[in-house]
Amino acid sequence: MKTSIIRDIRAWQSFTMLNGLIPIFRRPLALVALLSTPLSFLFFVDIFSHGTQLLVGSIGGLIFTVINAATMLQSDLLFGKIDLKFQQMIATTGISPLVYVMGMATGDIVFILPGAIFFLAVIVYLTPVTILDVALIIFAAFLTWVFFSLFSYMISRKVREMREIWPISVIFGIVFAVIPPIYYSLSSIPPPVQYFAYLVPTTFAALIIKDAVANSLASLPVPLLVYFVETVLMVIFATRISDWRQQTI
Amino acid sequence: MVVPLLVKDLRKDYLVKGKVTSALRGLSLTALRPMILSILGRNGSGKTTFVKIATGQLIPGSGIVEIFGHNVISSPASVKGIVSLVPQECRPWGHMTPWEHIYHYQRILGNSREGAKDRVQFISEMLHIGSFMDTEAVNLSGGQRQLIVVGMSLSAEADIYFLDEPTIGLDVITRKNVWEGIRYFRKLGKTIVLTTHYLDEASALSDEIAVVSEGRLLAQGTLQQLQNMLDYNTRIRIPAGFAKGSLEPYGKVVSDSQYEILYTDEKKVEEIILSAGLLKTRIEIGPVGLDDVFISLVGGGIED
Repeated sequence: MKTSIIRDIRAWQSFTMLNGLIPIFRRPLALVALLSTPLSFLFFVDIFSHGTQLLVGSIGGLIFTVINAATMLQSDLLFGKIDLKFQQMIATTGISPLVYVMGMATGDIVFILPGAIFFLAVIVYLTPVTILDVALIIFAAFLTWVFFSLFSYMISRKVREMREIWPISVIFGIVFAVIPPIYYSLSSIPPPVQYFAYLVPTTFAALIIKDAVANSLASLPVPLLVYFVETVLMVIFATRISDWRQQTI
Repeated sequence: MVVPLLVKDLRKDYLVKGKVTSALRGLSLTALRPMILSILGRNGSGKTTFVKIATGQLIPGSGIVEIFGHNVISSPASVKGIVSLVPQECRPWGHMTPWEHIYHYQRILGNSREGAKDRVQFISEMLHIGSFMDTEAVNLSGGQRQLIVVGMSLSAEADIYFLDEPTIGLDVITRKNVWEGIRYFRKLGKTIVLTTHYLDEASALSDEIAVVSEGRLLAQGTLQQLQNMLDYNTRIRIPAGFAKGSLEPYGKVVSDSQYEILYTDEKKVEEIILSAGLLKTRIEIGPVGLDDVFISLVGGGIED
């Protein structure tokens, strides 16, 4: 058991290295690319709101940045599976698919970390927050990373060609990081539409962060609990379906 | 003794655009002792599908695959770590060096930092790749990139290695370096299952050769056993266009785009040259080889 845990940690480290730490220094352009969209959104939110919605724009930017890591993971997993056939080699090593996926996902965190720190810093700068508030923001970002990394894994299992993932990634970003109320307030949309917004997990991430920065701790437990449960269910589901073997490759 | 590889009646169908396509139609083959087993077959004969099933990546329709007594189908996890693979048409990460590839693969396998470094050094020397160990893969040739993946796979201390066309794209000398590595592992008592289109490679390396076609085993045995399956020991190549009918009384005639190939008995060669009118024709006479066995069993050329 101990040996297996040590091996998993070593494997996790190496996946992070090869998918994050090594390429970030040799191919740093991805760092800029991943930051460009959330920063552009922040720019437009700031311009059109005359500076009044900079905080909301930064919260949206933080969530969008984390979603970007998950979007990038889809391409990385598919690249490793279809183009390089790296996944086939890993499948014979005894490493579980989830260690592979989360190791690769940690590699993608490396790329979005500067952006995430930037947006967090803006949030902290714009509003007085306690350490608990910051911990809650990081926790919401963490749940978002886990949930959507596993979701990306499920998508990558079903896709059989690199070209298929590009439109999926674009739609993924829009559905989970643009349309839901992360760049605007949930209350600004009509109540019937709000129910649809609750179907999107990032809505809860935004609610947690907005409640944390607004010190609305009374309303915080519900979105926190819902998002936590959703993420746990995703982990359980991903664990159940995770298998190197497929009906078709 | 536990059998390294036992495959029985393996079947796999794919659904392609609503139509069922059978990739494996009851494939059976064995490696009864540690050996180099080459699997030959034309494109689409089911070799790679078999490798994917045997390495626990693809669910078969039915059949048995046992590796060292472990049932790969019912318990794929039981063979993890004792199996290593070079996938077909694989590539390394462009941004990483060969050293990093093999080192991190070792770490993924659970090796310590020092152990991983030692293994990298060992593989580097074995495959003669030391001169480009610190060059990013994107700057290497196709053959050098292929060597990285071969190096990763061979760095695993597995009991059975599945090498799916590992020497494709390699020059003659580099191929022989890989052969050296494969032979080294064979001497260590490992089993190597090699799929290849290079018949000289199969002839030079294999303890046994399995010929597959349309998802079935046509024949398996040593090179000599396979050659003995032919009723003839001599091959005469005659440029295409020569009257086939005048050759048919002397043996088996196979035509391809360039040649009429007559398989016959060595004792009849003189008579054939005189009687069939081959005196004024440019011909090549030689013993039958693996390519002849292959053509005889499968029909047509290997790359058809």
